[in-house]
Amino acid sequence: MVNSTIYMRITRIWIFLSAITILSWALGSARGGKEFSPSIPITVGVLAIAFVKARFIIWDFMGVRAAPTWLRLFTDTWLATLATVILALYPY
Amino acid sequence: MTDAGNTTRRDAPLAAPGDGATHGLGLPGDVNMWVFVLGDLVIFSVYFIIFMVYRAHERTLFLESQRHLSLGSGVVNTLVLLASSRFVALAVQAARAGNPDRAMRLTIYGGLCGLLFMLIKIYEWSSAISHGFTLQRNDFFMFYYALTGVHLFHVLLGVIILVIMLRELRNPHLRRVSVVETCAIYWHMVDLLWVVIFALIYVMR
Repeated sequence: MVNSTIYMRITRIWIFLSAITILSWALGSARGGKEFSPSIPITVGVLAIAFVKARFIIWDFMGVRAAPTWLRLFTDTWLATLATVILALYPY
Repeated sequence: MTDAGNTTRRDAPLAAPGDGATHGLGLPGDVNMWVFVLGDLVIFSVYFIIFMVYRAHERTLFLESQRHLSLGSGVVNTLVLLASSRFVALAVQAARAGNPDRAMRLTIYGGLCGLLFMLIKIYEWSSAISHGFTLQRNDFFMFYYALTGVHLFHVLLGVIILVIMLRELRNPHLRRVSVVETCAIYWHMVDLLWVVIFALIYVMR
């Protein structure tokens, strides 16, 4: 019973991650007037989706949710730093 | 199902509830694999940052080049890797629950997804090359082939690691949960890196 709950949770997360991938596709396909012009909303949306996916993969698929504090801190710090640096470099 | 003396940790398949949000006690897998994975994540971060710096300097060129990529292939490959991660995560749970047959089946599905990813990627590359978008074309395509190439090598290594995981599960004298977890962690890293590569190279504007 415990296991079926875990299996269902993994499957639910997978469905969610697949759904937001499709959303990312829709965002990436949006023309927004001019074809392939720079777009802050699209970029921020796509990056937000990517980092949400990354965190679920780390916490729920890799099992960091149940891991020691140092690993949770390291992975979260890595993810937050990478997201911040990428966004900071975008308009630069 | 028995594995006396073979494990370093979590030696019994039933030992780890795994997903419990409040347990937070044991490190899944081997610490050496985590050192490797975390190091690899840092190295890839440097690649991503260098890509962003170049992109900032050549934004028009990067956007113009990006539209020649197959966004559909990128999306399908993302879905394929997410599916593979699900199979492998479920395989770990099955191994923990002492169900090696189910774990083996799921590992095979995960590995097949990895092979499918590689086939799609090779098709995508050959299509791009046939249209003249080669490595030498410009900086964008240099990054495109370099990042997806290094990642593809990780996928190949990941498939080999899944074969090792399968062998571990197949042998009744082994079936160490820690080894299964260790192999799975590597595979999820492959998925994780792709998610970021997909956003940076294929979709962001």
